[in-house]
Amino acid sequence: MNGSKLIKILWMKIRHNRIVIIVCKLLGTMLCIGLMTFIFHLFEPFLAIQYIALLYLLPVMICTVLWGITAGILSAFLSFLAFNYFFIQPFFSLWVHESQDLITLTLFLIVATVMSQLIGQARDAAREAVRMARLREWEATCMYQLISALSGLTDTSDIAQVLVDHMLDTFHFVRVEILIKGWEEDPAVLRTGPASSLPETSPNSTIMLTTARKTEGEIHIWYQNKTLSNEESRLLQAFCDQGALAIERIHLTKVENKARVLEESDRIKTSLLNSVSHELRTPLAAIKASVSSLRIGAIDWDSAARVELLTTMEEETDQLNLLVGNLLDMSRIEAGALNPHINWNSVPEIAMSVTTKMRSRLQDHPIIYNFPNNLPLVPTDFVMMEQVFTNLISNSIKYAPASTNILISGKEQEDFLLFSVENQSPPVPDEHLEHIFDKFHRITQADKVTGTGLGLSICKGIIEAHGGKIWAENLADGFSFFFTLPRKLNGALPETPKDS
Amino acid sequence: MDKDPLILLIDDESQILRALKTILAANHFRIISAINGEQGLALAAAQAPAVIILDLTLPDMDGIQVCEQIREWSTVPIIVLSVRDNEKDKVAVLDKGADDYLTKPFGIEELLARIRVALRHSQLSIGNKETVITTGSISIDLAKHLVTINGEEIKFTATEFKLLSYLAAHSDRVLTHQTIMMHVWGMEEADHIEYLRVYIGQLRKKIEVNPDDPKILITDPGVGYRFKTSE
Repeated sequence: MNGSKLIKILWMKIRHNRIVIIVCKLLGTMLCIGLMTFIFHLFEPFLAIQYIALLYLLPVMICTVLWGITAGILSAFLSFLAFNYFFIQPFFSLWVHESQDLITLTLFLIVATVMSQLIGQARDAAREAVRMARLREWEATCMYQLISALSGLTDTSDIAQVLVDHMLDTFHFVRVEILIKGWEEDPAVLRTGPASSLPETSPNSTIMLTTARKTEGEIHIWYQNKTLSNEESRLLQAFCDQGALAIERIHLTKVENKARVLEESDRIKTSLLNSVSHELRTPLAAIKASVSSLRIGAIDWDSAARVELLTTMEEETDQLNLLVGNLLDMSRIEAGALNPHINWNSVPEIAMSVTTKMRSRLQDHPIIYNFPNNLPLVPTDFVMMEQVFTNLISNSIKYAPASTNILISGKEQEDFLLFSVENQSPPVPDEHLEHIFDKFHRITQADKVTGTGLGLSICKGIIEAHGGKIWAENLADGFSFFFTLPRKLNGALPETPKDS
Repeated sequence: MDKDPLILLIDDESQILRALKTILAANHFRIISAINGEQGLALAAAQAPAVIILDLTLPDMDGIQVCEQIREWSTVPIIVLSVRDNEKDKVAVLDKGADDYLTKPFGIEELLARIRVALRHSQLSIGNKETVITTGSISIDLAKHLVTINGEEIKFTATEFKLLSYLAAHSDRVLTHQTIMMHVWGMEEADHIEYLRVYIGQLRKKIEVNPDDPKILITDPGVGYRFKTSE
């Protein structure tokens, strides 16, 4: 097994050795001329000397076509010598007696040499053309493969990996190492291939990944017993340029996305400022008007109007407090600083605590609970869940017609508990359903219904921080918010107390 | 008492100080105020107020520290003022010995009720403790282990009674989850807040007129529970 392998390798080495090839070509030429001479010699009695001279051009042509210009010229000289030696008197000697034969011989030599040269050049040119065409095709194929692999990549580490793979496939390098510089929050990327290789020496070549704007990184290459041909160098450079462009494309896309996000956040901030200043001013205006009318004595001290004004002031203050709470929650959710203090809680207890606090606002909307008796405890943050219920109920009050019920229910559903807050408000168009939990998304015009457009997005932030989901659906006779909360805390269900 | 009770206000916000001074004075309290922790501690030592109202956010030191330092030498009732979303601090300061808390913004009737409860408890701790607690139609006799509603006896399990009597003995004051758990279930099971939730639910079913709208066993969101008497 090993022996045959060794022979195979040796054979490959011999086959590709230049000297061996040349020697083979020369031997072939000599053999060809020798064979032809032998054949001509057999037919000599039937052939005039001029024909033999003409016939000798045949092997010269064959050798030139098969083995190139060197073999051609060699065959021309060998033919000349053989012709002279075997067919020109005196036979078996290189002497020439007759001047006519001398002219024949000289002419033969000139014709054979010139012919072999011409044929050889044409042959070499044709071969070169084919070789070049093949090379171009190979280059084009490699480039095409690389470009199609690079297109659509959105990550610099993927680009690095594609570059490494393609370079190894195309050039058969011993090792390729690609280092892409870090950019903004993207970390630097280092990819090497093949996986098994380890750098023992410094790289044979280093190419920078450069675009018109800057250097994106560099490529180190190790190769063995081989220098790169011009074509290979050119292709390698083209690979690097493509890689650099792909990296630049990713960076530019990110810059563009960032600009878009900034623009969006700018829009949101403006929207927030508008709605917040409106929302702050409305209760402030009511409070200011109530206070000042009481202070200047415009209202009779014992009248029902006084009680009404005082109630307004208190309610509007609560409204302001809720708004500030929502703003705080929103900024926490935005900053990713919402850290729920999760513990076992009874959601019905939370809902009841909220409805107790909202009693005065709920006069027109009686709350109906639909919780099963044995509804399990769920891991939640009590205060945050209060905020969720407050916002969902506030929203229901805003849109549901007066004197309609709000139904709060909960039930078990596999690993989750499913809760809903149903009201009898008109249906929401389907295209809005998905977006009502987006920040500042409002179905109605801002001046028709009060609110900042923050409440529902805060609910979403809080529920998601608990590992649950929130959504809304139109019902046959109303509208409902649904949310789920996972049942397990750190993988465990609540323990049941042992009564002593 | 011939003199009005003295209240020490420790708060750095002048608007709050101004409003509270006016309101409390109108309700027959004498007021002294401090605008930072150090000053507050000095006044607490020098004037021996009947109640201290302490804001949790002070310019020079943490309200929790102030509470801790006062507790080293005094049992004067401390009512803490805090903001929403600060449940951790509320619980911490209550566990450090504060008697109660109020979340800003608060209604003044709540503050007055807290002050009255604080004054009552500090007087009770000097004299004999109440053994019969009555609220609405419920009467709880701590000594005889007897609970009646409209004169009818209600049966409780041992744990239920332990919990109810502990809450009732500290009526109108907030008790943190941790404190309740420690007293009813003991140190080892003090982390099982789920027990507390279950038992509060059971108690409400037995003693509340409408368990969906509790009037006696009140939840303090994120902090604990309080047993409310109809005062």
